[in-house]
Amino acid sequence: MVWAILRKELRVELRTLESVPAMSLFSVTTFVLFHFALARDTVDGSLASGILWVTLLFASVLAINRLFVADEEQGGFDGFLLAPVDRSALLIAKFLTLLAFLVVLEVVAVPAFGLLLLEPSLGRILPRLIGILLLADVGIAAVGTLVGALAVRTRARDLLGPLLALPLLVPVVIGAARACAPLMAVGHPGRIPVRWLETLGLYDLVFGLVAYAVFDFLLED
Amino acid sequence: MPAIPLHTAVSYVAGAYLVFFALILVYVAIMATKLTRIETELSELTDLAIADRAERDPPKVTAAAAAAEAGGLSGDQPKTGALAG
Amino acid sequence: MYGKGLRALSITTALIMTGAFALAFFWAPEDADQGFSQKIFYVHVPMAIVALCGFVAGAGMAVMHLWKRDSRWDMRSYVAIHLSIILGVGVLVTGSIWARVSWGHWWVWNEPTLVSFLIIFLLYCTYQPLRFSIADPERQARYASVFAIVAGAFVPLNFMAVRLAQQYTHPRVLGNISGNLPGRMEWAFLACLLGMTLLFVTLWKYEMTSKHASSQLRRLKRLLGEDGQAKGRRTAAPATREAATPV
Repeated sequence: MVWAILRKELRVELRTLESVPAMSLFSVTTFVLFHFALARDTVDGSLASGILWVTLLFASVLAINRLFVADEEQGGFDGFLLAPVDRSALLIAKFLTLLAFLVVLEVVAVPAFGLLLLEPSLGRILPRLIGILLLADVGIAAVGTLVGALAVRTRARDLLGPLLALPLLVPVVIGAARACAPLMAVGHPGRIPVRWLETLGLYDLVFGLVAYAVFDFLLED
Repeated sequence: MPAIPLHTAVSYVAGAYLVFFALILVYVAIMATKLTRIETELSELTDLAIADRAERDPPKVTAAAAAAEAGGLSGDQPKTGALAG
Repeated sequence: MYGKGLRALSITTALIMTGAFALAFFWAPEDADQGFSQKIFYVHVPMAIVALCGFVAGAGMAVMHLWKRDSRWDMRSYVAIHLSIILGVGVLVTGSIWARVSWGHWWVWNEPTLVSFLIIFLLYCTYQPLRFSIADPERQARYASVFAIVAGAFVPLNFMAVRLAQQYTHPRVLGNISGNLPGRMEWAFLACLLGMTLLFVTLWKYEMTSKHASSQLRRLKRLLGEDGQAKGRRTAAPATREAATPV
């Protein structure tokens, strides 16, 4: 069931190209904006890490806002609720969809960031960076799925989505940005303090479980 | 830790406690508006009950209701209670 | 009947709060480092602790709501969170004053407790708009409960993350409440905490009584035949339909 929904989501995205291109374009444009706003050609260290994470976060808010809109507007919810399937399947499928969007976004945004702004070369730090990105993506996707479902059936969904998602994602930004900062330092990349990875892991675990526990209640009518 | 003159410290501390009390007072004000609304609705309801009663059997109860209304709150209470029950 | 015992509770609260503040000002010794300005501690910290506990209690009540399917639990959760948001304003303002007097700035980023509180406060500020933008009362209650649970789980996690992010540069009174505070300060602090908790409970009961009264009123209006629904305003507060208790 999960796979069926996931396949459908990805096929819809491939056909309409609604979320991922917008997110990627948004992130590249934001890097350009940062170049002019900060009046710097290259950045490094915690500044670089902060720019990368704030950009990725705002880009992911775009996807979070769109995640359930098609279902709400075209009655996909009703169809799903009529079908005799476990409701958690929808949560897991949407979570994986959002995760896939985020991964594709990063495949575009991170090299663009390396090309446009980052001073140290991306090659050496890439494996560790991918680890941090994945850990953070899981948390963003879990919270994003929940917030997307919560906001989509309200009158002010475009406003509520970001307002709910951004404070909830502060711990992800703290963990991910602090973990990436030593990687992006000029010269020899520093070691990642383990506690940030632990923070991200704990966040993923807690919000994964919370989302799983409460998601059913969002789909009741 | 910079040493702060006692005078300045006192005004800051007073400020902090004032914020706390102002907050409680604002809360009281909010509750007051709610109470006023309840009061208005309750008196509307009482009028309605009196009118209702008067309509049902005119002569006797109208007099009683008028007397009760003139009597104020203590006269009204058993009547609304009887109606609701 | 939420009004039961409210009078006794109010009097106790008034006595204990007054007594606790009196202890804080006249009995507890002055802090060696911060001097008189440390007295802000006795109103700021209890308020912060009570507000956070109120958020978490609101989450617990939301769990009860989803579990028992009883709209009264939603009302309880709403009132608890609503009160905590009001206290939260006080926490941020008094915290800011304290930062000004001890570090010379109205806002300091290296005070993890205050920073985490700001983040939590920003999150809870969306609680009322969320409720307000859902028209159907039943769905409003359900979604609000989901929000309350998610935000309740967020409170401790956020504290942990923000605290880790600081480098512990400041000697802090907050981190070691039972550890470093001299005995009298600790007792005065505990008295203030008790007073603030009682204040929260009193206000909670007060507001619940008010909500209950107006819902009874609305029921009475329906019984008397006036169309109560026609006047219904759109509101962020839970719909005060009572669970079916006979008149």
